[in-house]
Amino acid sequence: MIATGKHLPRRLFLRGLGAAIALPYLDAMTPAFAAGRPAVAPRTRLIFTYVPNGVTMEDWTPATVGRAFELTRILKPMAPFRDRMLVLSGLAHKNAYALGDGPGDHARAAACYLTGVHPKKTAGADIHNGVSVDQIAAKVIGADTRYPSLELGCDDSRTVGNCDSGYSCAYTNSLSWRSETTPNPPETNPRLVFERLFGAFSDAGLSPEARARRQDYRRSVLDHTIERAKALLGVLGPSDRRKMDEYFTAIREVERRIQMAEQDRTGLPDDIEMPTGIPVTYDEYAKLMFEMQRLAMQADLTRVITMMMGREGSMRTYPEIGVPDPHHPLTHHRNTPEWIEKVTQVNEFHMRLFADFLASLQATPDGDGTLFDHSLIVYGSGIADGDRHSHTDLPVIVTGGAGRFRMGQHIRYPEDTPMTNLYLTLLDRVGVQAESIGDSTGRVEHLTDVGTV
Amino acid sequence: MHRFVVGLPLVGLLVLSAAPRVGESAADEAEVARFEETVQPFIEKTCLPCHNDRRKRGGLSMVSLQAFDSVARDPNTWEKMLGKMRTGEMPPAEDPRPHPETLAKVTAWIDHELERVDRLAPPEPGRLTIRRLNRTEYNNTVRDLLGVDVRPADDFPQDDAGYGFDNIADVLSISPVLMERYVIAAERVARLAVFGPEPTKPTLVRKNSGPRKVVEITTVPDEYDETGLTLPNAAHTMHRFPVDGDYIIRVHAGGIRPAGSEPVTFTLWIDGREVASQTLDAAAQASFSADEQELFGKTLDFRTRVTAGEHWVAVAIPRLFEGLPPSYGGPNPSTRPAPPPREFTPPRRNLPPERIAEIRKRFEEEQRRVRPSNSARVGHLEIGGPYDQATGPLPGTRERIFICGHPAGSHVQGCARRIITNLARRAYRRPVADVDVEPLLELFQQARRAGDSFDQGIAVALQAILVSPDFLFRMELDRAPGGGVAPLSPHELATRLSYFLWASMPDDELMAKADAGTLGDPAVLEAEVRRMLRDERAMSLVREFGGQWLQIRALENINPDVEKYPDFDPYLRMSMREETERFFARIMREDRSILEFLDARYSYVNERLARHYGIPGVRGPEFQLVRLTDPNRGGIVTHASVLTVSSYSTRTSPVLRGRWVLDNLLDAPPPAPPPDTPPIDETGANASMSMRQQLEAHRKNPICAACHVRMDPLGFGLENFDPIGRWRERDGEFPIDATGNLPDGRTFQGPAGLREILSTEEEAFAKALTSKLLTYALGRGLEPYDRRTVRMIARRLPHHEYRFSGLVLEIVNSVPFRMRRGVTTP
Repeated sequence: MIATGKHLPRRLFLRGLGAAIALPYLDAMTPAFAAGRPAVAPRTRLIFTYVPNGVTMEDWTPATVGRAFELTRILKPMAPFRDRMLVLSGLAHKNAYALGDGPGDHARAAACYLTGVHPKKTAGADIHNGVSVDQIAAKVIGADTRYPSLELGCDDSRTVGNCDSGYSCAYTNSLSWRSETTPNPPETNPRLVFERLFGAFSDAGLSPEARARRQDYRRSVLDHTIERAKALLGVLGPSDRRKMDEYFTAIREVERRIQMAEQDRTGLPDDIEMPTGIPVTYDEYAKLMFEMQRLAMQADLTRVITMMMGREGSMRTYPEIGVPDPHHPLTHHRNTPEWIEKVTQVNEFHMRLFADFLASLQATPDGDGTLFDHSLIVYGSGIADGDRHSHTDLPVIVTGGAGRFRMGQHIRYPEDTPMTNLYLTLLDRVGVQAESIGDSTGRVEHLTDVGTV
Repeated sequence: MHRFVVGLPLVGLLVLSAAPRVGESAADEAEVARFEETVQPFIEKTCLPCHNDRRKRGGLSMVSLQAFDSVARDPNTWEKMLGKMRTGEMPPAEDPRPHPETLAKVTAWIDHELERVDRLAPPEPGRLTIRRLNRTEYNNTVRDLLGVDVRPADDFPQDDAGYGFDNIADVLSISPVLMERYVIAAERVARLAVFGPEPTKPTLVRKNSGPRKVVEITTVPDEYDETGLTLPNAAHTMHRFPVDGDYIIRVHAGGIRPAGSEPVTFTLWIDGREVASQTLDAAAQASFSADEQELFGKTLDFRTRVTAGEHWVAVAIPRLFEGLPPSYGGPNPSTRPAPPPREFTPPRRNLPPERIAEIRKRFEEEQRRVRPSNSARVGHLEIGGPYDQATGPLPGTRERIFICGHPAGSHVQGCARRIITNLARRAYRRPVADVDVEPLLELFQQARRAGDSFDQGIAVALQAILVSPDFLFRMELDRAPGGGVAPLSPHELATRLSYFLWASMPDDELMAKADAGTLGDPAVLEAEVRRMLRDERAMSLVREFGGQWLQIRALENINPDVEKYPDFDPYLRMSMREETERFFARIMREDRSILEFLDARYSYVNERLARHYGIPGVRGPEFQLVRLTDPNRGGIVTHASVLTVSSYSTRTSPVLRGRWVLDNLLDAPPPAPPPDTPPIDETGANASMSMRQQLEAHRKNPICAACHVRMDPLGFGLENFDPIGRWRERDGEFPIDATGNLPDGRTFQGPAGLREILSTEEEAFAKALTSKLLTYALGRGLEPYDRRTVRMIARRLPHHEYRFSGLVLEIVNSVPFRMRRGVTTP
């Protein structure tokens, strides 16, 4: 599935050095510089992966804190990254609680997750929330890429109507908020994500030879068309000529787009399969959406990504792992052991898919390291216990190499430490200055220190 | 089938080929005398007091109409005048009525003189800009050119519409986005045509379930649809399956069943045929509630083989009221033991005893509550696939392309040229020359030189054909120098004809007639028109023209308020459209009188519509032709489709419906309200007055009255139909008063009365349908000079007994359809 970047042999590179100096920075050549300093500063990515409806906390939270913690049942799939991740306990989103607004914890959990703000209860157009941390980051670290940020989801993403007890669907479906009133609705169709990233002429999935040939033909066909349009311009009347002019201009623009596509696809592996739509099974779907993230970062089209593996309150059924029941009712298990077991299976499934994603980032060269090395990734949920809708002691994992944190720890923060304090700390690490986010009261500690509370 | 010789318009052509004969139109002395004796004094006395140069009521001065030759100079104003006098709109009701005999004399004179003037006027065909194919035309053309029915244009941006139609040359533009889609579609279609479908990864498509509401009851009805298809509990959708293959239809269930019910059955129907059934036991899976069987969020998958193309997919719950607990008294009750009542567990929090007692009481009430008997439903559908799909060449497609007849790999010298020439000729809809073929052949050779196969070379040439302006545009060339008028070439005529009747390219037979140069022969042309109208492709005329003329395309975007009109659901919407299409198709196929649009005593219904209309005895999803015995149903205006698109989502609008009738049936579209018109208070906010009373109040304002006096009465006549076309006796608390008082003093009662009135309006209707169909046929808005053509055609229709083919033939033979004006070179 992962295309391994083919490094140019050093000798070959040196032979061609004279010509290569003028070339732009090429990933494929980086190892040649690896001994010295990197050619450019590594790009830093910030990624948020969200799981809905909480997790079974008894099977999530490690029994002990510190470096010697043991991976719990749900965290097991993360074994390959045990020493490159932090499990953080005690963080909370107090603003996701009702605070007098009555039911609607799922909507509040998602809306508050990256903003730390108590969203206004409404199912109408007067939605109001805060600016989310990914958008604060995108203003700075997303400024140099074609897309400042990318928002993805694995459930249908309506943004109007009532999705939870009088809360707009914009709240349950969108983690990312560009402004207090503008959510960034996630794109859920991998085909559209791909087309947005790489345009309509990327010719993904073809061998370099087949691709080159297809591009040749496309150019020849357009040349033929342009010649024909020119000839017609000579014989048509004035109003007809206007239509032909329109055609002519459009063809020229398409020519330009085709050229652009050839540049944009630099770094796109040859064996990538072009998504044709939403895969039928969830595991294929989630894998493909993760793959879109990897491709977007590899081509450096964006550096800030949020993805909801399911929207808050998701009713998805998981027949492929033997859970035919809808997810959300399962989490209201009323302590029925069989239901709790099924919730835990769904949690493990999500974790496995996320761990696969991390592995793919780890296998993707990027500058002097890998995509994993240059990313800061947060995995978690705005609900801890789905049965009781609690928003304290949330399940949170921080991983990736970009934070240069002291990894491989389980840290427990004092009860009700704002989740947003973690975000401020992360922003510091990716070089983004922010005074506060939502209900933040400061930074979190212990991420770089030796030892824990 | 009757045949009529269509001679007259050809006379027009002859007239044209001679010199215009304006000078020869010397009027009969007697006519002039009659004008001076009757018409001029009538105008002076009856019209001029308001329509003079100073007062100019309605923006019209009739001072210049006092001259005899003004009819020749300004026939359209005279025509408008004639219309207003005939409907009684003019002179206005508050003025003294002219003597009926005088009125009759004046209108007869105008009519006669208009006819004479039209006959002698120099014909003006107008000019058409080169026109790109619209989305439907592109899809159909690709289908008929290559046998590839994949509707690539469904991915194109929406076409702009003008003059009520989306095939108008001037407004169809080409944006870079569209061009990009053309380039991609050309590659895809060429590959598909030459090599057949490539294996595609299965994908999942969510189908919108549309507005739908199950009104819950706790009883069991005596009689109901046991298939469940016509109940709102079923989900219906149209889906285009890309290739032959297996597909998964995923059912997302909804609603609840009372505790102790048997598992629910779901049945899959495709194109009205039962395919498979499955049961779902909601009691066996996680739910929010323990006191009932919750279906919400539960899914089940059907897997079945489906052929490529569009299909109607429905999932219904059969025998909805069976398998309920015996206490419901339904048929075949559940044999499952009722689950034991749950024990009350007091909340863990420390609460005062009275609070706990309260919670306990609520708990017990909830346990005793009788659950609805009909709540189980299909929430929405997802369609996944294809699995085990068909690959390899499509049947019939390769034969259309590789006309050399050799098996793949054994083509001989000259095959490529023959194949490409044939493709280009058909795609460009005209004979092709070396200048067309050589560059395409060069593309083929380029591919061969690069080492690609013969077939690949053909695919590249085909790709070029499909983005060429010669394919994408319908091009007509100026033949007459200096802005003169000239007939179309035979191939241009064939193309106009096929896009008019089929919304697609000419077929081989039509092309052969054009090649032979015989298409202009009246007998040949008539035979072609009749053949084409009988062809299946003529359904495009019903769907494209009919859908836009009658505005029933808007059904797709209309969402009646589900709370007020829970009967409206996607199945009803689909059925409404189908009724009107089948009705139109019958008139076209059986070459019936177009006047049946006004007063037919038959229609097509399936069980869904029959229940909606209250027609007994129709069962199942198949449509059947029914005789309408209810005097209040008949003609197109009582089709639920029309009544729905001319309503608001929460209520009817006599104004919208009146306007619909005037515009689409009576050729008298009311003008837009003048800018300073006070907005009509039709909001229904005024609950103390009926809609009728509110509108009557509105008409007290003379500015409003001018138009509403025509619109409102027609709409009042339809007030017994609610916003989704169902019969009603009351609108809220107000009984319906369906009396219509027309401006000429005639009064009618309800839909039956309206039908009688409409059926006397043959001429107005003939003109209405003629101008709409002419607009569609030409692909341009009608100009003032086109009124002459409309009048001439409308006058000829009685000679055809108003048969549909007569109208089509008259249009096809008209000057604007057969000829074009060149551009004056500066």
